[in-house]
Amino acid sequence: MNRRVAVTGIGMVTPLGIGKKAFAERLFGGDSGIAEITAFDTSRFPSHLGAEVKGFSARDFISLKNLRRMDRLSQMAVASARLALEDAGITIDAANRDRIGIILGTAFGATDIKSHCARILFTEGPGMINPSLVPNTVMNAPAGHVSIEFGIRGVNTTVNHHAASGETAIAYAALEIQRGAADVVLTGGVDILSEFFFETLIHFRAVSPVDGREEGARPFDCRRNGPVAGEGSGIICLEALDRAQARGAVPYCEIAGWGMSSSPAGPTDWSDDPRGILLAMERAIQSAGLAPDDMDVIQAAANGGKNPDLVEAEACRRFFESSKKPFMSSMKGAVGESFSSGGIRATALALSMKEGKVPPTLGLTDPIKPLNIVTGRSMKTDIRCGLMNGISYGGTNVSIVTKIIA
Amino acid sequence: MERVVITGMGTVNALAKNTAAFARALQEGTCGIGPLTVFDTSGYRTCNGAEVKHFNPREMIPPSFSLKRMSRADNLAFVATIEALKDAGLFPLPDDLRETTGVVIGAGAGGKLEGENFYRDYLGRQGKHARFSQLSSLYGAASADHITSHFGLMGPKTSFMTACSSGATAVGFAGDLIRRRVAPIMIAGGVEPLCRTTYASFNVLQAVDPGCCRPFDRNRQGLSLGEASAIMILESLTRARSRGARIYGELLGYGVTGDAYHMTTPDVEASGAVRSMTTAMADAGIPIEAVDYINAHGTATPANDLMETKAIKAVFGKRAYRIPVSSTKSMTGHTLGASGALEAIVSILAIHHGFIPPTIHLQEPDPACDLDYVPSVMRKAALNIVLSNSFAFGGNNTSVVFGRYTDKGIVNE
Repeated sequence: MNRRVAVTGIGMVTPLGIGKKAFAERLFGGDSGIAEITAFDTSRFPSHLGAEVKGFSARDFISLKNLRRMDRLSQMAVASARLALEDAGITIDAANRDRIGIILGTAFGATDIKSHCARILFTEGPGMINPSLVPNTVMNAPAGHVSIEFGIRGVNTTVNHHAASGETAIAYAALEIQRGAADVVLTGGVDILSEFFFETLIHFRAVSPVDGREEGARPFDCRRNGPVAGEGSGIICLEALDRAQARGAVPYCEIAGWGMSSSPAGPTDWSDDPRGILLAMERAIQSAGLAPDDMDVIQAAANGGKNPDLVEAEACRRFFESSKKPFMSSMKGAVGESFSSGGIRATALALSMKEGKVPPTLGLTDPIKPLNIVTGRSMKTDIRCGLMNGISYGGTNVSIVTKIIA
Repeated sequence: MERVVITGMGTVNALAKNTAAFARALQEGTCGIGPLTVFDTSGYRTCNGAEVKHFNPREMIPPSFSLKRMSRADNLAFVATIEALKDAGLFPLPDDLRETTGVVIGAGAGGKLEGENFYRDYLGRQGKHARFSQLSSLYGAASADHITSHFGLMGPKTSFMTACSSGATAVGFAGDLIRRRVAPIMIAGGVEPLCRTTYASFNVLQAVDPGCCRPFDRNRQGLSLGEASAIMILESLTRARSRGARIYGELLGYGVTGDAYHMTTPDVEASGAVRSMTTAMADAGIPIEAVDYINAHGTATPANDLMETKAIKAVFGKRAYRIPVSSTKSMTGHTLGASGALEAIVSILAIHHGFIPPTIHLQEPDPACDLDYVPSVMRKAALNIVLSNSFAFGGNNTSVVFGRYTDKGIVNE
């Protein structure tokens, strides 16, 4: 079996807004979701900026019965899943629920609940951990809660591989539909900011300003000094194209191919060899039966990190060396690095494909490589094919190719 | 579509530190469960677990590999990977395989044991001068990263974390990448270390048997937590044949479903488990009647064993009573993220050596669990098709189908 995979719905809870209308307006309007962190006191840290989700009222999206069992991470995932299902116009019933699945990515899971439980363990003793919190400490909790809230009983799994979790989840979801294991799969990623987690990022020199200069997210910029940490959830609804067409749905685009690779590097290191990213892009484009020349827009993974941006820029330069130069953009100047960002970025790419717009790369004024990067304001252009890169420390690369359904 | 075969295996678990010794222990019905030493259990409700004792990775890993920044979990996974590659005749890994060989790991607590040491220190010092570098392999994905990094691999890499079904999903997904020609060789498996937070969590949920877990026994009180690594070399049949590799068995298919019922209680109707078994069999293209042995999830929690028994009856009807079903967790403990992969190795060993491993500690049958659980003593049997179940908190169910390898393909007779 080899079915085509359509994107028929998108849902997001992000620093740029909740739901596609607010999100699209601010994304293409060039707004930033980055500001001083308000959820916890950052005065003892050298970094203070974050891309937080604000104004999120979980009760607007989740049944009370299930809501009280969910932590913030799962709430964001479930709210995004509801938005994606509504956007796709899919109602789950006894006849279709076994063929509808969820494959989510999370890089860190419920960091708030996990550090709380570890604190109780060492301060009050192992018997004092609240058993009702335990189910939310596992990485697969958000997907579990989504499945329970909507009665989704098909494939259910969770990818937990650093900052490539979201993109890998999407590739796996596409594979499940391609091979006929499911008709619809909700997929994407979710991660949250929390205090101990933020402190850890600072100790690993994983957030701006690693050089002690001005703090900020500047993807692909010569003055970049680390990403700004973000949070949020983005879920896309993937559906077998024949099913979508039969019910009269109008898809955003299709997932035409994907490619995965690794770049040898330790778990917290970045590889400085662009070959891994090149391989992921090559494999993705090849599996889509397309060529570099077909690509109109690249949704880059660049987050303002010293090493990853340079490696991705070099990989893209080489990849498109002898072809048409596609427009490139990284939205992490606006939404920060939310780790399993593939979900949010996929919703943005779907909007780009549908509206023919490339969002600007905020924070970029002095590019590290002569690439065709969109800055300042969004660019209106004809988009037929898009490519999204997911790259992670630890050397994991995933590329996804999207295509307008002709 | 490529056929997927298993050409190498490696494991470290409470019963053995290599696959050959593991096969013997399974046949002898050895219990790996006892008092834990990996951390201090005073203050916990229970003190038993299935621990890998006297584990010295440096003795088992060639000196050319640095173990810097590797957690206990990473070391367990790495030792098993080296064994599996050697077993497959792929150690040292030929250079021409590096670009395409991938790694998929079902992960669990990752570097949490070390993370807990760090956190205790951090709390003690009010956050000052704590060594955050101890967290560098905190997440389960680190094991796969260390493997690709040490061997210079550039194939597909990912890690799943769906609690107790992670390892099974990792093996199934990796197999699919080969079937669909995304990669010719995959290093696939799972790893789980014992750690305090996991141990405390299962204890506050009152899911742990204070003695040894007793799957399907009427007096069962819960699981025994364990630790393990289990790695398989999956290879396309074309490739395995062309290099004349020894073939242990075939990965025929898998199925993943969701309960959509409750975060920690299995669906009493067993729908998710039923569908994971039937989807796996359909994916393998094998009739239900062909199953010779079921390696059960069999955690020994009152709810799981009842639900699983019900599910097997729903899938196999009257024949359920004639299919041997055993829980090797009675010997290895429940190794959570590794368990699906460890039991994949059990399934292949059962096919390869022709035996059905027993369910030990099953003394008083539960009237509601009335299948043939192969109590206490293993049986010799020629097995063609084995089904392995893994069901997890969160309602994640994965079943994987393995078969005896024959030239002709799937064995139907």
